[in-house]
Amino acid sequence: MIARLLRLAGLALLLGCASQANAEPYLAAQMGLKCVQCHVNPTGGGMRTVFGNTFAQTQLAAKRIGAEEDIWTGQVMKFFSVGGNARADYTYVDIPHQEQTNEFEMEEARAYLDFGVIPNRLSVYLDQRFAPGNSTNMEANVRYWVKENAVYVKAGRMYLPFGYRFEDDSAFVREVSGINMQTPDEGAEIGFEHGNWSTQLAVTNGSGGAPEDDKGKQFTSRVEFVQSVWRAGASVLFNDADAGSRSGAGLFGAFRAGPVTLLGEVDYVDDDSIGVDGRKLMATLAEADWKVRQGHNLKLTFEWLEPNRDVDEDEQTRTSLLYEWSPIQFIQLRGGVRLYDGIPQNDNQNRTQAFVQLHGFF
Amino acid sequence: MSEPATNYMGGHRFLILPVILMLGACAGNGEGLDANGDPITVGPPANSDFEEIQATIFTPICSQCHIGAGAPQGMRLDAANSYAMIVNVASNEVPGLMRVNPGNPDASYLVQKIEGTAAVGVRMPANGPPYLPQDRIDLVRRWIAAGAPAPAAVTNKLTVASTIPAPAEVAPVGLTRLTVIFAGDVDATLASADTFGLRDGLDEPVPLAKVSVPLGRPNVVELTLARPLPPGSYQLEVRGEGPVALADNAGHVLDGDADGSAGGNYLMSFDVRAGESR
Repeated sequence: MIARLLRLAGLALLLGCASQANAEPYLAAQMGLKCVQCHVNPTGGGMRTVFGNTFAQTQLAAKRIGAEEDIWTGQVMKFFSVGGNARADYTYVDIPHQEQTNEFEMEEARAYLDFGVIPNRLSVYLDQRFAPGNSTNMEANVRYWVKENAVYVKAGRMYLPFGYRFEDDSAFVREVSGINMQTPDEGAEIGFEHGNWSTQLAVTNGSGGAPEDDKGKQFTSRVEFVQSVWRAGASVLFNDADAGSRSGAGLFGAFRAGPVTLLGEVDYVDDDSIGVDGRKLMATLAEADWKVRQGHNLKLTFEWLEPNRDVDEDEQTRTSLLYEWSPIQFIQLRGGVRLYDGIPQNDNQNRTQAFVQLHGFF
Repeated sequence: MSEPATNYMGGHRFLILPVILMLGACAGNGEGLDANGDPITVGPPANSDFEEIQATIFTPICSQCHIGAGAPQGMRLDAANSYAMIVNVASNEVPGLMRVNPGNPDASYLVQKIEGTAAVGVRMPANGPPYLPQDRIDLVRRWIAAGAPAPAAVTNKLTVASTIPAPAEVAPVGLTRLTVIFAGDVDATLASADTFGLRDGLDEPVPLAKVSVPLGRPNVVELTLARPLPPGSYQLEVRGEGPVALADNAGHVLDGDADGSAGGNYLMSFDVRAGESR
C-alpha cells in the first residue's frame, strides 16, 4: 500500500498534473500543481493530503532519514487524518532611535483534524491553535464534494479565498486585503476544480470572525488558471457592512524558469468604512524563489504598500531575503532579514528585522 | 513536467525581475505628512492620554489591520471608532472580560493582549516583534486606571460612548450607581434628573439621589440611586429632546437615537439578578 502511494506521488510529480502543493504558494508554482494537490483545503494551507505528506518526505527535504517503509501519510486510521505545524522564532529588531531588541518566541503550534466520514466526499475539518495562549479554534467546517474532485461546498468557520495564501500574514498584500490565516470568518463556500481551473466563491459574515453585527455579507472569490510553468488568477471581494462597504480586487500569477520561480500579486481595496471619505489602498508583492538544490531555497521578496491613494509620499516598502533549509523530512530551518522602508518621521516603518525560525510540520 | 534535478544553478538571472521592481518602487519621502502618514493639519495637539494612545499606538500600528469593515474581531481602531469599540465592550475572545474596563487595567483585555498575557490568541501587534515599548503600554495602563476618559469632543454632536452596566448586562443585586460615558464633555449644569431617568420593569420611575459629573472626568455622568436596586429589569433614559435636553459645553445637543444628528433620547436596558457577580 505504501509503495503504491509513493509510486502514485512520484507519477504525479513527473506528470506535473492536477492540483496544488504546499504551505507556500511558490512550491505549488514550482511543481505546476494546484493547492488541492497537497492540502485537503482546496484553497491551500492547513492539513496536508497523503500526497502533500509524501512530497514533504521525498521531494522537499534534502535528505530522508528513517526506514523507507515508514512513510507518514497523515492517515492514522481509515476515516481520520491528523496534521500540525509548529513555528519557534528567534527575532532581532532594530528600530531607529530605539534600543535593539531580541527574543525567542513560540509563534504558533496548530493541530489539524480531518474526519473523512465518507472518503473523498464528506469531511469535518478542524484547525485548532494550541499556542500561544489557550486553545483557539481557527477553522471548523464541513466540506462535501458534490462531484468528487470537481465541485465542493463548505460551511462553517474558514479562511477566505483571495489571492495567494502566503505563510507570512504580515505581507502587505495580506494586510491590505485583510484576508489571512489569523482572521477566519464564518459562512459558506463553493468551489470548482476543473482541469486547469480552480475557482472558489465564499459568502461570509464579513465581521472579521466576530459575531455578525449587521445584515450585510461579505463575498470573496478567487479564480486561477494553472499551467505547468505559469499560472494566473484574479480575486474580488465585497463586504456590505453598516460601517461602510469595502470592495477590492487583485491579480496574481507565477512563472517558473528552471530552478527559479517568480510570483507576483497586486491588490487594490476601496474601503468606505474608514474615516469620513473612505480610503483606497494598494499593495504589491514580487517574490523570487531559487531552488539552489533539493532542500535549499533562497527567497527574495519585495513588497510595496500605498496605504492611502489620496495622500502622496506615504508609501512603504519591505524587502526580505530568506534562506530555507529542509535538512530532513518535516523540519525546516528558515532565516533571513527584512528591511522596512517608510516615511522618515515614522521609526517603526524604517526598522530592520532578522529572524531564525524552526518549523516543524506533518 | 518538472525540471531535472541537475538544472538547479544558472536560474539566478531571473532574480533580476524583483530587483527591477525594487528600483522602480520606493518608499515615500513623507513630505507634508505627520508620523502616521496623514497630511499635516493645523489643529490642537493631543491633550489627553487617549488622544496620545490613538496617535502613537492605534493609528500607526493597530489600525494597519484593525480598520474598516471586516476588521479582526470586528474591532475597528481608527480614530473615528476606537473609543466606542473598546471601552466597556466585552471581548470576543474572552467574553468575560471587557476590552477596556475603566479603572481596572489588569482586568482589561486590551492590556492583556499588548502585554502578551491574554489567555487566547497571539500577542498584539500580531506581526510583532516588535511589540509595544513599555512606555506605550504604561500609557494605556495609566489611561485605563484613570477611568478611560474619552477624548475631548471634536464633533458637532454629543453621543453616549458606553455605560456601566453595559446594555443588556445582568448586574448583581445591590447596584447603587450607574455611569454614563460620553464621547465628549458634558455641560454639567444640564446633568440632572431632568435629563437622566431610570424606570423599572413596571415602567415606574426609580428615584435618583444624585446626578453628577465627577471632578476631572467631564465626559462622565454618575447616577447615584436612592437605594440599592432590587432584582428586575430596568431602562435608563438620557434625554436629547424634550423640555430639557442634555448637551456638551459647546451647546451641541445629545444625539440619543444615534441617527447622526442632534436630538433623540438614548435608551438602554439592563437586568439586576441575585447571585450575579461583576
